[in-house]
Amino acid sequence: MTAVMELSNALAGAVARASGSVFAVHGRRRLPSTGVQWRAGLVVTANHTVEPDREVTLTAPDGRTLSARVAGRDPGLDIAVLRAEGDTVPAADVADDGDLRVGHLVLALGVGPRASAGIISALDVRGGRQPAGEVLAVDLTLYPGFSGGPLIDVRGRVVGITTSGVSRHLQCAIRAGAVGRLVEQVVRGGRIPRAYLGVGTQAVELPEPLRDRLSLAQRTAVIVLNIKSDGPAAAAGVVIGDLIVSIDGHAITEPEDLVAVLRPDRVGQVVAMSILRGGEPRELRVTVGERPQRA
Amino acid sequence: MSVLSAPEALPPHLAEVADRLRQVTVEIYSTRGCAAGILWAPDLIVTNAHVARGPRVLVRLADERRVEADLVTADRRVDLAVLRMPRCEVAPAALADSDAVRVGALVVALGHPLGLRRTLTAGVVHAIAPALPGGRRWIQADVRLAPGNSGGPLADTAGQVIGINTMIAGGLALAIPINDVRRFVASTLATVT
Repeated sequence: MTAVMELSNALAGAVARASGSVFAVHGRRRLPSTGVQWRAGLVVTANHTVEPDREVTLTAPDGRTLSARVAGRDPGLDIAVLRAEGDTVPAADVADDGDLRVGHLVLALGVGPRASAGIISALDVRGGRQPAGEVLAVDLTLYPGFSGGPLIDVRGRVVGITTSGVSRHLQCAIRAGAVGRLVEQVVRGGRIPRAYLGVGTQAVELPEPLRDRLSLAQRTAVIVLNIKSDGPAAAAGVVIGDLIVSIDGHAITEPEDLVAVLRPDRVGQVVAMSILRGGEPRELRVTVGERPQRA
Repeated sequence: MSVLSAPEALPPHLAEVADRLRQVTVEIYSTRGCAAGILWAPDLIVTNAHVARGPRVLVRLADERRVEADLVTADRRVDLAVLRMPRCEVAPAALADSDAVRVGALVVALGHPLGLRRTLTAGVVHAIAPALPGGRRWIQADVRLAPGNSGGPLADTAGQVIGINTMIAGGLALAIPINDVRRFVASTLATVT
């Protein structure tokens, strides 16, 4: 048997092994997406494929239908954690993602099983948004319905969760380590906390002379348009009209950057917020709050 | 782990697979351009019905010989056709058991995409399922095809043919499983001769 035949058998074996933990997730009107049993009772999928306030059902690999509810969401990483009812399927074999290298052969899986193959093309997609090291770029095709499914290595171990929801241009996967941390939060606290500043913002262009004077590379920042008087930003002294330029050194160029920087694990932590007030830079220390739960 | 170390110890052999497939993949010319066919027996070619239009077509073999082939049968519904040509001295295609094909397995396609003769593309088996609910079963492959691949082989890493590339849908290659082709050819030859 040639090396390439062995490799082919290994890939098919990896698909067979991993697909036992893969669910169809019915959380939106059109096409179902894909989910992975991460540990007993908890299924991970792509957040953008689970519509708000909707009954979610899962189809197990053996065809059983299970009901599920959203236990936590992280829109910044496009991950939702679902709590499934009834006995589910074996949990996925999650790889230690420290072993991943650019060029490694990987497969993306959908329900069926369906497979698509390619390589890791980058380990660290910042794109200005995602925190360092949490998003992988992959050189493979994510077919319709693949979002939320596993990215597996040649041994069938899960190295990430694929999603077409975090980048407009790249095919991406959220690294297993980052997904595991979110699942851990659900296990410990029953939910994924959502960071909260209590501000409403909009992007504004920074005037050229101001950028020159303060040596700012970014072209835009966000302006505070409204503020919750009992919120964390108000408590730190932020007022309407302040421009938020960066948080802990991460440039804030549009409101979505706030979501990306204020990860669930920042709740309760103090961050350094650089603002401009009347054209003058200031540094404020803000204790990140947790978004009040919806009634 | 043998899977990871083996390719470094031994060079991968897709090149050999490609050479073997090139010997058994023919070019079939029609007014609509060049498509592919598989050398099934020393005097038989199997291709898609949408490739073999007309009672007689021009065929170019791998050794550049040009021959004329006569249509034995064409079934537009299953999109398969059998052509007979003068005997050639080339060993016909080796066929796999398409029921044993697994999702994720490495596969290669040989054909003439956009007229680029004898071009190899590679990928994995995506699914073995109907493209639409209730439809026929296809071997769906995550392999890049283009017009000109029609009628050509989808093969495994041993160079054995697992299907006939027939359609492109949503970026996927759709191939007729070779076991279905075997049954079609057997029943055709039984009724014709």
